[in-house]
Amino acid sequence: MSRKAPPGARGAGASTSNGTTSSAPALPTISTEDMCPVCKTIRYLNKDMEFLINPECYHSMCSNCVNRLFNDGPNQCPYAGCNRTLRRKGFRSAFFGDLAVEREVDIRRRVAAVFNQAEDDFETLRDYNNYLQMVEDLTFDLVSGGEAQRRTAEATLGRWEAEHKAEIERNRKAGREADEQSRRRLAAERDAARQRRVEALQEAEEEKRERVRNREAELDNLALGDAGAGAGGAQRVQLKRRGQAAANRAVEAAVHTAVAAAADVGRLSIRGLKEKKKAPAPEGPYDPFAGLDFVPGRYKLHTGLGHPGIDKYKDDPAHITGGYSFDEYTARAMFEAFAGLGVFIEDEMEAGIGLSAGEVATMSAGIAAVGDRMELD
Amino acid sequence: MATEDARYRQSSQYQLWSFSPTRLAAMRDKTNAAARARIAERLSSLPALSNNTSAPTSSANTPNADGSSTPALPEFLTPPEEAQLVTFFTSELLRAGDHAEMSDDIKATAAAFFRRFYVTNSIMTYPPQEMLFVALFFGCKAEGTFVSIAEFGKTFDREHPEDILAGEFLLCQGLRFAIDVKHPFRALRGATMELATLPDIDRNRLAAAEHRAREVLRFSPLITDAYFHYTPSQIMLAALSLADRGLTERLMTQTFHHVAPPPDNSGADTPASSGPDGPAPATKRGPPRGSEDKAQIIGPHIRDQVLGTIEACRNLLARELPERREHWSDRAVLKAQVTPLRKKLSKCRDPDRWNLVELQRVRREQAAKRADSEEADPAPPGAAAANNTAAGDGTVFGDALAPREVKRRRVLDDPFGGPL
Repeated sequence: MSRKAPPGARGAGASTSNGTTSSAPALPTISTEDMCPVCKTIRYLNKDMEFLINPECYHSMCSNCVNRLFNDGPNQCPYAGCNRTLRRKGFRSAFFGDLAVEREVDIRRRVAAVFNQAEDDFETLRDYNNYLQMVEDLTFDLVSGGEAQRRTAEATLGRWEAEHKAEIERNRKAGREADEQSRRRLAAERDAARQRRVEALQEAEEEKRERVRNREAELDNLALGDAGAGAGGAQRVQLKRRGQAAANRAVEAAVHTAVAAAADVGRLSIRGLKEKKKAPAPEGPYDPFAGLDFVPGRYKLHTGLGHPGIDKYKDDPAHITGGYSFDEYTARAMFEAFAGLGVFIEDEMEAGIGLSAGEVATMSAGIAAVGDRMELD
Repeated sequence: MATEDARYRQSSQYQLWSFSPTRLAAMRDKTNAAARARIAERLSSLPALSNNTSAPTSSANTPNADGSSTPALPEFLTPPEEAQLVTFFTSELLRAGDHAEMSDDIKATAAAFFRRFYVTNSIMTYPPQEMLFVALFFGCKAEGTFVSIAEFGKTFDREHPEDILAGEFLLCQGLRFAIDVKHPFRALRGATMELATLPDIDRNRLAAAEHRAREVLRFSPLITDAYFHYTPSQIMLAALSLADRGLTERLMTQTFHHVAPPPDNSGADTPASSGPDGPAPATKRGPPRGSEDKAQIIGPHIRDQVLGTIEACRNLLARELPERREHWSDRAVLKAQVTPLRKKLSKCRDPDRWNLVELQRVRREQAAKRADSEEADPAPPGAAAANNTAAGDGTVFGDALAPREVKRRRVLDDPFGGPL
């Protein structure tokens, strides 16, 4: 069997993919110093030789050969053993140097055009992930599966396309719209940036002119005789002006946002009910104790409360140096002496005097649940 | 509602660990029943081990080769027996605390921890002799006294302090992470201070009463269920009334003075001297300004209710007065009451949970295994639990779409057709 060596077979660059040429022929690769595998023209003879491929079989050949062979209509691929019929129209130059990558990208593009569901189309994330997995498997089959696998994958792809034609079309349109929108947004941003730049430039220009004018005025003043006053005045004026520009800008921006906000409100007021629900009555200042009252109800905190147990600490430098307040201690002791005096656990936990019955029920349910859990875990 | 009561109702002691006697008994029954069921199940699954409980080590042992077929299940402890054992071990805990010269707060906190733990956990499930030290050690930390575990172990001649650490998280779980225990000790001080401002109270009598009440507080409420049923102030007043009933009533009438306070009956049934030796101080409360609210807080109605509660608490405490301390370490009592129960306990304890160190190790391993598969249900520790996690891991991304063979990357298969 006569076989033409693939274009990259010789030369240093070919060693990467052609290690096992004898068992399985490697993909044809394009390198700059190639020779056209069809007409054997080398670049030396034709400086602007260009290699084209056809996505039918990805066999590369020079543009001259393409013109020569396919100008008169469809023809067979000139590579030996390749029986594909190629057309002139299908030829293009490869984007990637490695044609395997080129092919994979083409396949992926084709698959993505058909399987173009978005995450929103699925009920759960898991469904979406399953879908992605399925698509990826299919792609893999197409890219590097065997003949049979490729055929089934093709069939699946075709079936899906036929079945979901409308959906695919819709998604494609949506995707295009999204693209279009983002492009428009980008363009608008770019415009705004340019606008800003131009304005800044103009402002700088204006300022420069102002400075020159001031300087002239200053010189005039000097010529007239009252130097100090004139210079200071001009300086001040200029500084003031510069500040003014910034202030003006700020004011403008504020007005702009206010207008925008007003527009927002106006737009959202259609869904006024929702708005209203979002803003309940003002809550007032935050109360870390959630409304607990710390004024004792049953006892009065007398001054000069004391206990023999704490008397000895009142002269202890270790306690008084640190600023320990014995009133704190007495207040706490008094609080503890009376806290919960009117809490009747037996009644409250049974019938809920202090609490509502629902609270008691949920509490006991919680207790039971926790009890169960503890026993079971 | 008085503000003090509202504040007390915010505490975890009230919200999580206050029960009426019936509910507490119901919870204990439930705990007991659950423990019985589980231990019976475990014991029957380990037939050879169930009568080989002489050693405290658990299931790690090799099964006996003598081939004894599943023996009858042991006799389980009843809830009252369990309660008695818990009481006994509480007294042991207090004794251990005395031995280590811990403060009253620590001992009380540890005792409360211990009793709370054994409300939702059966004494047959986790070893009380171990949990007692865990509670003590954790009580130290809860009260802000941070002893080192080595030192703590040395105090009690434990050569393996890890045993204590192993139960710590378990204890916390059992406490439902409510670490703060409100004690009546400081409340007693407060009551004394309040009483000391009264003109006609003898200081010596007050000091004696306080001393006695403190002694009661150090033992009686800890070894009974008082902490579950009463608030610290009620316990304190009950203890005070055990020491000196007159003083308590004086304080009560002083406090709940709203409408027409009943005639002063201070010292009516106490023999202590009530000489009017203090000059009338200016701190005496002014006459109450009448209002519905005041009547609710310091009216006679609520006073009667409080007095009734204190009386009930007093009766509870009177069952375990400090003099009973010796009762629980008395040889005859031990032999008659506790030893049989402990023997029984050694026969019916949970084989998987008895060794805390082993249990902690197993649980950690399990936790590591199912760290990322949340749906793995809590399975019993042991060999069976390890198997079901591997299956769960695979389905994180959903079930397989279709059975597929392993993919092989066949780049060298020419996808473009035959060779040139």
